[in-house]
Amino acid sequence: MIWGAIVGGLAGTVVLTTLLRAASELGLTRMDIPFLLGTAVTVDRVRAKAAGYALHFLFGLVFALVYFAVFAVIDRSGFLLGAVFGLVHALFAGSALVNILLPVVHPRMGTTFDAAGSAPLLEPPGFLLRNYGRRTLVVTLIAHVAYGAIVGGFVRLAG
Amino acid sequence: MNRPVRIDGYAPISDYAAIGDGRTVALVARDGAIDWLCLPDLDSASTFGALLDADRGGRFLLQPDAPFESARRYVRGTNVLETTLTTATGSVRVTDAMTLPTSGLAPHRELVRRIEGVSGEVSVRWSVQPRFSYGAVAPRMDVRAGVPVAASGRDAVGVLSFGAGDAVRRDGGIDGRFVARAGSTACLVLTASHQEPLVLPPRAEVEARLEETVRHWREWSDGREYDGPWTDAVLRSALALKLLVFAPSGAIAAAATTSLPEEIGGERNWDYRYSWPRDSAFMLRALLALGCGREARAFFSWLLHASQLTHPEVRVLYRLNGAVDAAEESLPLAGYRGSSPVRVGNGAATQTQLDVYGELLDAAAELARFERGLDRDHARRLAGVVDHVCNVWRQPDAGIWEVRSDPAHFTQSKMMCAVALDRAVALADDGALRGDTARWRRERARIGAFVETNCYSEAGRSYVRSSDEDVLDASLLLAVLGRYDEPRSPRLLGTVDAVRRDLATGPLVRRYVGTDGLAGEEGAFLACSFWLVEAYARQRRLDAAEELMDELVGLANDVGLYAEEIDPASGEFLGNFPQGLSHLALVNAAAAIAEARA
Repeated sequence: MIWGAIVGGLAGTVVLTTLLRAASELGLTRMDIPFLLGTAVTVDRVRAKAAGYALHFLFGLVFALVYFAVFAVIDRSGFLLGAVFGLVHALFAGSALVNILLPVVHPRMGTTFDAAGSAPLLEPPGFLLRNYGRRTLVVTLIAHVAYGAIVGGFVRLAG
Repeated sequence: MNRPVRIDGYAPISDYAAIGDGRTVALVARDGAIDWLCLPDLDSASTFGALLDADRGGRFLLQPDAPFESARRYVRGTNVLETTLTTATGSVRVTDAMTLPTSGLAPHRELVRRIEGVSGEVSVRWSVQPRFSYGAVAPRMDVRAGVPVAASGRDAVGVLSFGAGDAVRRDGGIDGRFVARAGSTACLVLTASHQEPLVLPPRAEVEARLEETVRHWREWSDGREYDGPWTDAVLRSALALKLLVFAPSGAIAAAATTSLPEEIGGERNWDYRYSWPRDSAFMLRALLALGCGREARAFFSWLLHASQLTHPEVRVLYRLNGAVDAAEESLPLAGYRGSSPVRVGNGAATQTQLDVYGELLDAAAELARFERGLDRDHARRLAGVVDHVCNVWRQPDAGIWEVRSDPAHFTQSKMMCAVALDRAVALADDGALRGDTARWRRERARIGAFVETNCYSEAGRSYVRSSDEDVLDASLLLAVLGRYDEPRSPRLLGTVDAVRRDLATGPLVRRYVGTDGLAGEEGAFLACSFWLVEAYARQRRLDAAEELMDELVGLANDVGLYAEEIDPASGEFLGNFPQGLSHLALVNAAAAIAEARA
């Protein structure tokens, strides 16, 4: 059953990443998760993207395992329940994870309290990620609902 | 020192200087305004487009509050511009650069304007008015980490002011003002992002990148090998051409702008932010003359890569990323001094232009000489192109000037098909190319017979524009440059004399006098003037070549740049700017004279 979460986490992250990238290409958002994550560990843009993708997939797996743990506790799973988890996950990402927690741990992420100083800052995402484009939240919700549905579906299949 | 002027809000084209980073180019007017900048790339939509619509286009103003005069130059050996603005109370020096991403976490694109107080006190005001998508989109204004930001869709720009006064958000713009005193230094930074969060750099990193950018350009300039006459003009041309090299692909844009008019108020307004395979031979010769072997290889590889999908046909132009789509449309902009339509895309992309094959094979021959051979895959593809020439040379085409009238049998097109076959046979003789050389020789002879029978005027003692039009065309000079025949053959000597006699006004040569399917008239085409210099040099008429070259070098603007055309009557620059072909032709003309002298 845990293999379902692992495979679902990888597949879900592939879909989530692809959806976010497509939305970026369509001009719906300037959110670039690999860039955001990777610049926490390096200032080299190429390495940042590579590291960012690796970190994003790692986090995708970690969240899938968290989903799996909750499925196990409530003894229910499935793509619909996964989609609901994805929705909650997206709201958490937009309101707290990327908006508040990431700037705390990201050495280059700006906050509303920062001014230009001695190090380059990344534009902060703002509440519900609106700074990266007004449609960013919608895109994020859709991508995470898809992610959650895939994880939930795979866990159910494996179970 | 001159007092900058504007006509209805538009600076003369010759008042612009270009700065860039190998991905995009900004045009800086003599009065300190940046009126043109496409982001993130040269062929993207404009963010500053006041060049094409003074009211709606958007710009980055930076100028003294009081009346002022200006003088400027490039920092030696670089594409970094220094403009000195002088008022009655003092002067400031503005250093403008698109920085190269050399160190640190650099913004996606970064435009730096450093303002140094030189003497006295100068009250300076600045205003950043970004207008995304060619002015069609009003930006959303906001503040991030204390930095004013304008965003729209996938694009955003932020303005950082370091000692240049507080940045204040106003209607659709970000404004500021400050007093520059002797010895003071301030810095304004436009940071731009595309499909990613903005990077907001600290001042120390900005200043470091600016210095590294100067050092990079200097190192590149010092690596140039040209050691002939008109060194300064040639080096400036090399730097201008380097600005037009789109670094991500190796493609070379024909110019940095769209729709600067060939006639003020007229309809001859085209988008030149594409790469023309036609320019390949000129480009290869110029790059190799300048010792830019790496750029030459990259461009040729890009060219064959881009044309892979259309093989064996070679399209007239390609996008800088190698794509073939270039659908032409008109934008709702006023146009430079009322010259509309403002076009993006280029309808010439779907035309048939046969001369391109001659230039491509000539370029291949140049590269093969430099590299002592051709890449096997390239050779196989080129052989296919040569066979295609054998099949299509009999067709009428739109000719080198991309006329919008009916296709015709243009002489220069046929001549360049002959040149293609000449080079192919020579490459085959050297073992660099394999193919049906007997057929190539046979078709070459047939083209020669067609041209000599149908495209020469005994009365005019010169070749003529087409088999149907008994008029002159400056493209015939390319028969000398492309070695269609012996440069000093009687017919080519007569043609060069006729071009000078019938198409030149002073040092300036018009392209043609025939029909082209468009209303109005254009100015003199600078590349043709430099081709005339090169033709003289190749015909060993060095006095005429040097005299004409001196005159033409004197026609550059104050920072050594050329547009596409010059109005022979007023001396005004016309057409897109800076124009790669003009600078290519200058380099090749100077190199030809140097070679003839040696």
